[in-house]
Amino acid sequence: MDRTLENFITALRRSGVRISVAETMDALRAADLSGYGDRLLLKDFLSASLAKSMPEKEIFEVCFSRFFALDYITGEDFLLENEGLPPTLQGEAPLTQIFMSGDVGGLAMALRAAGERADIRSIQSWTQKGLFMQRLFQELGLEGLNRDIRTLAEIGGQDAVNQVKALKSMRDNLMERVRNLVERQLELYAAQRQYELSEGYIRNARLSALDERDLARIHKIIQRMVKHLKDRYSRRAKAARRGHLDFRKTFRKSITYGGLPFDTHWKSKKIDRPEIVVICDVSRSVSNIVRFFLLILYSLNEVISRIRSFVFCTNLVDVSPLFETHPLPEALAMLRSGAGIPILLSRTDYGGSLLDFRNQYSDCLTKKATVIILGDARNNYAEPHTEVLRMISERCKRLIWLNPETPSLWGSGDSEMKKYLPYCSIARECSTLRHLERVVEYLLRVHNR
Amino acid sequence: MSALDTKFATVEVVRRGLKDVGYIATTQIAHTVYLAYHLGKPVLVEGPAGGGKTELAKAAALFMGVPLIRLQCYEGLDESKALYEWKYGKQLLYTQLLKDKLDRVIEGETGLAESIEKLHQYDDIFFSPQFLEPRPLLKALQEKDGAVLLVDEVDKSDDEFEAFLLEILSDFQVSIPEIGTIEATSKPFVFLTSNSTRELGEALRRRCLHLYISFPEQALEREIVMTRVPGISERLTRQLVSFIHQVRKLDIKKLPSVSETIDWAKTLVILHAETLDKDMVRETLNTFLKAQEDIRVTEEKLYALTEHAIREAN
Ligand SMILES: Nc1ncnc2c1ncn2[C@@H]1O[C@H](COP(=O)(O)OP(=O)(O)O)[C@@H](O)[C@H]1O
Ligand SMILES: [Mg+2]
Repeated sequence: MDRTLENFITALRRSGVRISVAETMDALRAADLSGYGDRLLLKDFLSASLAKSMPEKEIFEVCFSRFFALDYITGEDFLLENEGLPPTLQGEAPLTQIFMSGDVGGLAMALRAAGERADIRSIQSWTQKGLFMQRLFQELGLEGLNRDIRTLAEIGGQDAVNQVKALKSMRDNLMERVRNLVERQLELYAAQRQYELSEGYIRNARLSALDERDLARIHKIIQRMVKHLKDRYSRRAKAARRGHLDFRKTFRKSITYGGLPFDTHWKSKKIDRPEIVVICDVSRSVSNIVRFFLLILYSLNEVISRIRSFVFCTNLVDVSPLFETHPLPEALAMLRSGAGIPILLSRTDYGGSLLDFRNQYSDCLTKKATVIILGDARNNYAEPHTEVLRMISERCKRLIWLNPETPSLWGSGDSEMKKYLPYCSIARECSTLRHLERVVEYLLRVHNR
Repeated sequence: MSALDTKFATVEVVRRGLKDVGYIATTQIAHTVYLAYHLGKPVLVEGPAGGGKTELAKAAALFMGVPLIRLQCYEGLDESKALYEWKYGKQLLYTQLLKDKLDRVIEGETGLAESIEKLHQYDDIFFSPQFLEPRPLLKALQEKDGAVLLVDEVDKSDDEFEAFLLEILSDFQVSIPEIGTIEATSKPFVFLTSNSTRELGEALRRRCLHLYISFPEQALEREIVMTRVPGISERLTRQLVSFIHQVRKLDIKKLPSVSETIDWAKTLVILHAETLDKDMVRETLNTFLKAQEDIRVTEEKLYALTEHAIREAN
């Protein structure tokens, strides 16, 4: 594959744009169509094939200009007044040669190559500005140019004096350009950091990767998300729907009325609030996402008729009373510290916890309940007790498994996900706020089907 | 090279073609449409309402000379409205017309249960192509010479519908249990639009090329106004577009869209306006501002905004 494109896609991925194999192929075909000559064309083509939402488009903009900045520097400004200068030096430095021959393309190429070698795209802070400029000067061979200037000055004579003057002005011009280039890279880096603090980024970042500093922002986003869902689903519950005529049923029933379709049957949808049973793994690998998930669910209590919640690690505990007797933030804090909750946090045991659930709480399984299990299914190679999961799935309306790991890891190592999958109505990756939002939305929506 | 291929020979040809049917495309729009044609991929178009998303699909159909098939999405939209439905009116009518025949079929059966059992064997007759009502998605697959399929405001549909749509966009075929598989002879050119009232699923996004249409620059918006509002003077166009662009910088709830610029321009032409003046602007603010609060905020700055628009237009 095309190296430039490959590197560019890596840069995008690192900045948080998710790119699938199919999209990589699209980008490849797009770049084939556009070529690299027309920058705008290339940019629009790649943007259309790789950046699929506003937040991704923002990242793309930053990455693209940062990545291709070096390619589109022209040398025109450097080579102004060198015409008619007789070459008086022998064996000059490469930079001197470029200046004296007026080789615009050569200068652009030298600058690009120097930028690559100095790894200028990795600059991250103002304090590194001097360092990167030095590196670039070095890679460009500024020293050689300076030496030639000194030699020329020693030679003396009108020609040499003129030439020294021209070379010096071109050198100063170049140094100015290098400084601009470095500053530009820095600005781009800053813009990217800025973006990482933005809502779009936080929504799409793995929650396990965000740190405490982002907590307040996460809570704000969740608040907004919850409000949006509430508005949407309380409105929706009011809108009763009639549905479609069930022809088969009507047709068959019509026999009773001598073939007249007298008694019409409609396939309709009843609106009902969901009943939810959540079972969450709270071992360290998942605890973050569990917290946010419970926060969202309990904040939605107006549109959900009943929530039962259980947490487990080595054993399983019913935490619903905690939420019934304490304000939500307090309950979550208690859950987090583990204070007053009889849970053992040593080896995660899915099998044992499922047995606990069966033995003590299977009464909360009804045909109206949606059961949601949140966890990575990593069972430390112990007995998974899939038969309990089967029992659960048979006795509830729907069983949803949310796994914070990406599907390609399901079943690897000690993950029992593949064994649990057959009993799940659906299983989804759930590692970002956006995933959480989609799951909850799904829950509220499909509930009535 | 097919006739369509010639229409998509270069980006410039596409842009001019769209312009000939009244759509003023930015370079980015032209680039994306061109790319979508050559990669044979659907385009997901996002951006503020009234920015020309729907219009782009319509223009593309006109330009390509193929029918436009539009599926307007809404909450609760399902397969029966999007893909196909059985014509139950016709089914019922036929059971009436064929009543004698049906009577003969169940003749001799005394119990209700047996009669129903017997009838059951015949209900397949009523599920044949004659009783099938194709909806937009099926229609688009059946167009022999291609079509533009516009799935409009897909964010208003549910996410199961989205999943279903994704399937169709991957295979361009559907299977109808009673009839069999129907496959597109010529893949339609697909546009999906979204006003982002809900975040669309990752899978659907990944399947499409993505285009974001933001508010156009002044020069472009002037061109749009001139094509959409015949008889408007260049001077007035300059002034009103400049005015709208200033309003878009104000801190208001709902920024005026391109279609609102057009509405305003039309109103001003009807009022025989030659040039912007404060009173006329004040009286017509409600053609492009809908919220009372927004009108108030703009009115406060009316004098400065109008002055600036007139100065900038010169
Ligand atoms: N680029 C454009 N060229 C020509 N007309 C445009 C353009 N953009 C918007 N319009 C006008 O604006 C109106 C609204 O556009 P529409 O496609 O309905 O918006 P959206 O679907 O984005 O909400 C159209 O009827 C058309 O008259
Ligand atoms: Mg529209």
